[in-house]
Order: sequence, then structure tokens, then C-alpha cells
Amino acid sequence: MFKRILIANRGEIALRVIRTAREMGIECVTVFSEADREALHTRMGHYAVPLGGFLPNESYLVAEKILQAAKDTGAEAIHPGYGFLSENATFARAVMDAGLAWIGPPPRAIEVMGDKIESRRAMQEAGVPLVPGMTEPAEDAAAAERAAAEIGLPVALKAAAGGGGKGIRIVREASEIASAFRTASGEAQSAFGDGRLYVERYVDNPRHIEIQVMFDQHGNGIHLGERECSIQRRHQKLLEETPAVVLDEALRQEMGEVALRAGRAVDYEGAGTVEFLFSKGEFFFLEMNTRLQVEHPITEMVTGLDLVRDQLLVAAGEPLERTQADVKMVGHAIEVRINAEDVRAGFLPSTGTIKNLRLPGGPWVRVDSCMFRGLEVGLNYDPMLAKIIVWGPDRGVAIARMKRALEELNVGGVRTSATAAMAVLDEEVFLSGDYDTHFLEGLDRSKMIGPEGELVAALAAVHRHHAAKRRALGTDTGERAGWLARSRETTSDHRRRAARHGGANA
Amino acid sequence: MKYFVEVDGAERVVELTERLGKLTVTVDGTPVEVDYEDVDALGQVLVLSGGKSFGASIEGDANELVVTIAGHAYDVEIEDERERAANAAERASNKGGGLVKSVMPGVVVDLLVEVGQEVTAGQPLLILEAMKMQNEIDAPTAGVVREVHVTKGEAIRGGAKLVLIETPSEE
Repeated sequence: MFKRILIANRGEIALRVIRTAREMGIECVTVFSEADREALHTRMGHYAVPLGGFLPNESYLVAEKILQAAKDTGAEAIHPGYGFLSENATFARAVMDAGLAWIGPPPRAIEVMGDKIESRRAMQEAGVPLVPGMTEPAEDAAAAERAAAEIGLPVALKAAAGGGGKGIRIVREASEIASAFRTASGEAQSAFGDGRLYVERYVDNPRHIEIQVMFDQHGNGIHLGERECSIQRRHQKLLEETPAVVLDEALRQEMGEVALRAGRAVDYEGAGTVEFLFSKGEFFFLEMNTRLQVEHPITEMVTGLDLVRDQLLVAAGEPLERTQADVKMVGHAIEVRINAEDVRAGFLPSTGTIKNLRLPGGPWVRVDSCMFRGLEVGLNYDPMLAKIIVWGPDRGVAIARMKRALEELNVGGVRTSATAAMAVLDEEVFLSGDYDTHFLEGLDRSKMIGPEGELVAALAAVHRHHAAKRRALGTDTGERAGWLARSRETTSDHRRRAARHGGANA
Repeated sequence: MKYFVEVDGAERVVELTERLGKLTVTVDGTPVEVDYEDVDALGQVLVLSGGKSFGASIEGDANELVVTIAGHAYDVEIEDERERAANAAERASNKGGGLVKSVMPGVVVDLLVEVGQEVTAGQPLLILEAMKMQNEIDAPTAGVVREVHVTKGEAIRGGAKLVLIETPSEE
């Protein structure tokens, strides 16, 4: 096993990897941007290497800096987390060329699965079911219009090099294709440096159900059941659960077998996720995410496994510790993503400094979070701040537990997606389990208002009254000292930040 | 002291009366018990009301607050009588125009109109990228572009002025 690994990521996923590595007696090298100097991942590893810069393309996306950090610290392997360089085959190859182990699948598997068109071809050959669509990407809007006429509306426009919901548009009217192509292609160009899109049939009332797989380097592979990820908005997931209400054991095993076939077709190694579009008992291959997923903890909760541990073992060349028959799923797990966004303003990004923080606890509640009091939430990085994961013996208990956990959660200073998740957990359609990927978009945002308006109005007035009085009188010396200390701290924080920004610009 | 408090868009009138150090509160004329305890001087407060306990947190300044209770975040805007009068006067003097503001922070990746250009309602004015998603910002009304406040590539904050559209007069 490795003695020391480098984690080429930030936020909660960097912490997630550090935790398992520590449990396995592996030392962790973290890397951090200038903006993340105070971040939890910078503080929780054994070694920390500054990358400089504020933006991802000045720091976490710069392969040379990360490889140099690994070399300087004597790390033997690199764990990419998710996002950033995790699905970058060139980087994976560079890691291996530098004589380090890549904690992820072979570069060729990343390449094939990362290219929508190539992956469709490979899946077709492997006998994995696909949604009807074009096999060549559309270069321009006119080509997309022609393709749509052939396939039939509605269609989805998807980035050839895409992922994470970027560069995707759904078009129901032929007249909207040109405008949709323009924005989606622009997004794809800026996110992936490749503006080509392909066109495929859009399946109505779809569910997004994915299968977790794990392969070792010796040809063994197992699947670890499904995750139901249909609660999403603009293809960004909010809440995930397992098991999926619509799957029975036979269908689960069938999808699991197909997912394994998909992985074997590209000689997969390590942890991966095969995403399917599920509609009325049918399922179609969407894509394979060649990395650990954000929502992997719900699989861990029902299987009792640690997927990062398996990733590390497999990358070190060990065989899988279990066979398919050893995998048992018990109970029900739900995850809610706590994103910095203003739900009522239409899920727009929310920025600010986290001033108050209370995290949920208690039985069967897991919190994977990068939040701390004083964390500045900006626009430089992904808005996900934390994940709340709960387990219960059945779905009903898990839902009640998640509601309880979200009621305990208090993130003051930025708005979070918890508001939307609480509304979801109250909806009859969600409780019945009969929902699809359109459910969240259609959710009435006016319902996402708390019931204590009257008390809050009174409290706000009283709070203002007390604050004004405290300022005016300044009699209580203890409190006054507190106020002064805080304002001094704020000022010096400000100066330090200003100096740093100035330094970056110079 | 009388306060006009808007909670999630619904306005309530809150009246505070302090007599012999004891504060009484009414909301729209109805007495509401608010036993207020500042827990940490950082925004965590305990409220006891009618025997019920509420652990709340409060962030913001004198006029705009966010109050969080049991997982719900409440948007609060608060004015006292004096501020209300001043704000009303300001609003009256400010003529309504077609000023398009950004509802989110982001980067202007493309500017599609220029000063003097005629636009129709719904016509894209610019493309704003936030969180790696590109959003078309459309003209709310037909008219003529009078001012453009941003340039291509510029990073803007939420609420920033983008484009001023002058609507044709109805004479």
C-alpha cells in the first residue's frame, strides 16, 4: 500500500479522501490555491503545498504544478477527487509517466467514456442500450436542425466533451434550435474547449438512475446497486436516494450486469458510475463517470463499504476484497447537497461569508462538509459546500431523519439549497416515489417559505432594537470589548485579503 | 417605535414599547411574546415565545436581515418610520425606466447590443456566465438601448446595472 498520496482537489471531497487515507495509515499531501489558504483541506492533511492563484486554471487545473508538488513531497499516487482533473486523460497519463500511481481508471477508458460519440460507439458494440440519436457531432446549428428533423422532437443538445450538466439544452420546437445551439455550444467551448454538440431524442418522464461499479486490475468487477438521482434542476442534482423506488431486484441485477458490461468494454479499473435514463421499465445508457461521484456516500451507507478505501486498494494493485455475492444492501439512504444558492431567486449562486454555522448530528447522520465559520463563499469554485447523508431502516424513516437533520442545519451568511430540499421532502409526489427529472423544476418556489413569518418579524425588530441600544450605550464592557475585537478582526482580515488580491494582480 | 418589516415579501407592522426595561411587542396589532437571548453575540439567538423555544440565527445589517429558524431562512427587510418616509420620497422622485440589472454575480461573456440599437421584447441583450452556466439576459420590453454599463469579459456583482432601455413614449 502507498505510504503517501497527493490529493489534487479541494472542498469536501479532499476531506473525504483524507479521512479514509488517515484510517489506512496513509499520509496525505494536499494542494491549495491562494483563495484556499485557510480551507479545511489545507489544514487537515499531513503536508500542504501552495499552488498560488485564485482561479481553478491558475491552481487546481494546472497539471505541472500538481505533478511538481507530488515530486517535491515524495507522494506515490494521486487521487483526483471529482471535477478538476479527475476526468482528464492527459493528466492521468502524465501522472503515470512520472512514475506515480493514478487513483482512477486507465487513461484510455477516460478518453472513450469522456467523448459522447466514442462512448456511444463502444456501448453499441458492447450491447448496452442507447437512446436514439446521431453518432457524429453537429458542427453548427444547421446540422443540428437537420439531425433533429430526422430523430424527431423533443431533442437534447449535448456537448461532445461534456459533463456535469454544462452545455446541455433541451429543445421542443424546431424554431428554438439555433438559439439553443448558440448558448450550449458557447458553454461547451468555454468549459471544455470544444463547442461541438450532438443531438439525441429526449425521453419524456425520465428518471436518472445510475449504477456504481468497482473493478480491480485483475479483471474482477462488482456493482454496488443503484442511486436514484432524478431530483435535479438543469441537470444539477439536489437530492439522491438508494434504493430507487422503481427498481425491483431483477431489474437491479439486470442494470448492474449491463453496467459491468459497459465497464469491461473499456477495460475499466477502480470506481466508476454508469448513468442510465430510466423510463417505464426501460433503461438507456447516458454516460459513464470515470471517477468517484459526489453522491457515493449513499451507496456506502446501504452497503457498509468505503469506496475510497477500495479505490486505494485497487490502485495499489490489490484484488477486490469481495465478490458480487458478498454485496448486501440494507435499508435506505438519502443525500442532500448543500449548495450556496438562492433557491427563491431561481437557484442563483449566493455568495458571502459564513458567519453562523450549526451542523446536524445524531444517529445515522453523516455530514461531509468543507464549511467553517469565516469561510468566504465566492464564485471561483463549485457552489457545493456540504452533503448531508442519512440512513434509515426504510425510506420513511430516512425521509423523516433527513427533515430533522435539515432543520438542525443552520448556515448563516449565504443562502443554501437546503430550502429546496426541505420543500422536496414535504411533497406528496416525492413521498409517493413517483417522480421524474422534471419534478424539481416544476416545484412551486412560493411554497419554500417558512411558517414562522409573524415571529420572525417580531424577532427582527427586537434584534434591531437591541443592537441599536448596545451601540448607543456601550455600557456592558464585556460585550463592548467583544464588539471591538470583532471589528478589529474584520478590518485586519480585510487588509490581508486586499494585500493578497493586490499581490495576485501585480 | 414602529417598524415596517417585510418577511419573505409579506409586510407586517411591528410596534415595540419599552417601559421600565420591559419590552412589549405587537405584530399588526396582536401582542407577540418575544423573550430574546443573545447566545454568542455573533448572531445566534434564543427566542422564547408562548412557551415555545426557537434557536435562531440572524445575519445582516440594520435594514436587511436573514433569520434562520429550523432550517428555514427568512428574508427580512426592515424600516422604521423615519426610514420609510425617506425611502418613499426617493422612490417617488425616481422615474421608472427599463433598467436591466443583473440578478446574479457572473461574467459577461458576450455583449449582443450597443447604444442606440433598437431591441424587441425578449431579444437577448447579453450572455452572462455564472457557475459555468451561460444565461441569456433578454430585453424586458421593446425600445432603444440608451446605456450599456458593462463590457465583454467584465465580472459583475449581483444587482449590477447592465443595460438601460428607453421605451418609446406613448404619445
